[in-house]
Amino acid sequence: MEQLNTLWLSTGLANFELGQVIMMLVGCGLLFLAIAKNFEPLLLVPMGFGAILTNIPVAGFSEVGGLLHYVYYAGIDTGIFPLLIFMGVGAMTDFGALIANPKTLFLGAAAQFGIFATLFGAIALNAIPGFEFTLQDASAIAIIGGADGPTAIFLASKLAPELLGAIAVAAYSYMALVPIIQPPIMRALTTEKERKIEMAQLRHVTKIEKVIFPLGVLLMTIFFLPAATPLVGMFCLGNLMRECGVVDRLSSTAQNELINIVTIFLGLGVGSKLSADQFLNVETLGILGLGAVAFSIGTASGVLMAKLMNKLSSEQVNPLIGAAGVSAVPMAARVANKVGLEANPHNFLLMHAMGPNVAGVLGSAVAAGILLALVGQ
Amino acid sequence: MDSLLQTFIEAGTLMLAGMVFVFAFLGLLVIFINLVLVKLANKYPDPIIQSKSKPKAKKTNIASNGVTPQVVAAIGSAVTQYKQKHGDKA
Repeated sequence: MEQLNTLWLSTGLANFELGQVIMMLVGCGLLFLAIAKNFEPLLLVPMGFGAILTNIPVAGFSEVGGLLHYVYYAGIDTGIFPLLIFMGVGAMTDFGALIANPKTLFLGAAAQFGIFATLFGAIALNAIPGFEFTLQDASAIAIIGGADGPTAIFLASKLAPELLGAIAVAAYSYMALVPIIQPPIMRALTTEKERKIEMAQLRHVTKIEKVIFPLGVLLMTIFFLPAATPLVGMFCLGNLMRECGVVDRLSSTAQNELINIVTIFLGLGVGSKLSADQFLNVETLGILGLGAVAFSIGTASGVLMAKLMNKLSSEQVNPLIGAAGVSAVPMAARVANKVGLEANPHNFLLMHAMGPNVAGVLGSAVAAGILLALVGQ
Repeated sequence: MDSLLQTFIEAGTLMLAGMVFVFAFLGLLVIFINLVLVKLANKYPDPIIQSKSKPKAKKTNIASNGVTPQVVAAIGSAVTQYKQKHGDKA
């Protein structure tokens, strides 16, 4: 009889707590979004499954000795996984559109206003009982506005590891929701005439420009913002491997096998942070809300900057491409293209929008470096 | 309340410094592209475009005819030989 009792006590049914059940349902929700709705499936499948695994009673996946514990501390706490992902993203990125039209860098810069404005929002939430965000917490939350998953995870793991789960879920959710969040803001801030603007064809970019560009970016980061060199350095390494043309095997590995392997473990590691005690609180609601605000402000400031550029520049600039400044490559550029096509069926903005889009990746990495340098101590 | 105000001031400073720095950094990058990369591009134009067009033309020939250059050469030489033989007989 005693043995039966011991057996019963070792089952999951006898050990379940309400919080664990809810978090498993959250994990199932993420799986549903990934599988049925195709929302960022590459990350949400391992993340959702990680959330289920970490909340299994008795198994101790996230305790010392458990798989997810080591995955988290080896890859996310150290910042290795997001940096490897960044290298892969660099290997997948073509800076041609940006080099051909360098002023689109200002659109990527303007869209980072979403990050810094959200800092205010996060601090303002402290006036409401139940919220206690420090400047470090607020900075980690605000980076959601950069719409760059690896950057958000990297910064959160350094500044506010206890909020990592909620920040990662918010960042990837809003990135998946780009086609829903952005178009109304873009339409509200532009006129029909502006959306119809056709832009001049981009010039051809030579190989030497593409090879020197990542080296130049790295050199400038070394000089002016060394705190951003982990992110920018890995990004530039990936991009140089792609463009130099002599290490195609390495470039191919970085943008395929390696990024896929790391994505599995990154998702599992982030999922392991989706435990009831860290996720089921009022702060998570605040983070989800602030993420949406950050994203919307980033989109709006990008569009407004493009409008200003259109007024001041001799060449015509379609303000819709400003919305692509919020990273989320290449989804944001596709959205700009789609909204442009709705206004003018002969207007293909995709390549023009890729400029601010990749500028946004650099911009959010620079913003992350600034936040690390100023509040990271 | 004072500490909240203090944090607000810190956040404001951070926002201002952050945006100024992001614009300055990416602005420098614009200058770098315009001054360095464009000059480099003018000095070292892409050789790939010229060299690539030739093999491409060859490839399309092969694809559209479905005959390799070796076969064309073999037929050519056979025709010449036939003509020579035919000419001899005549």
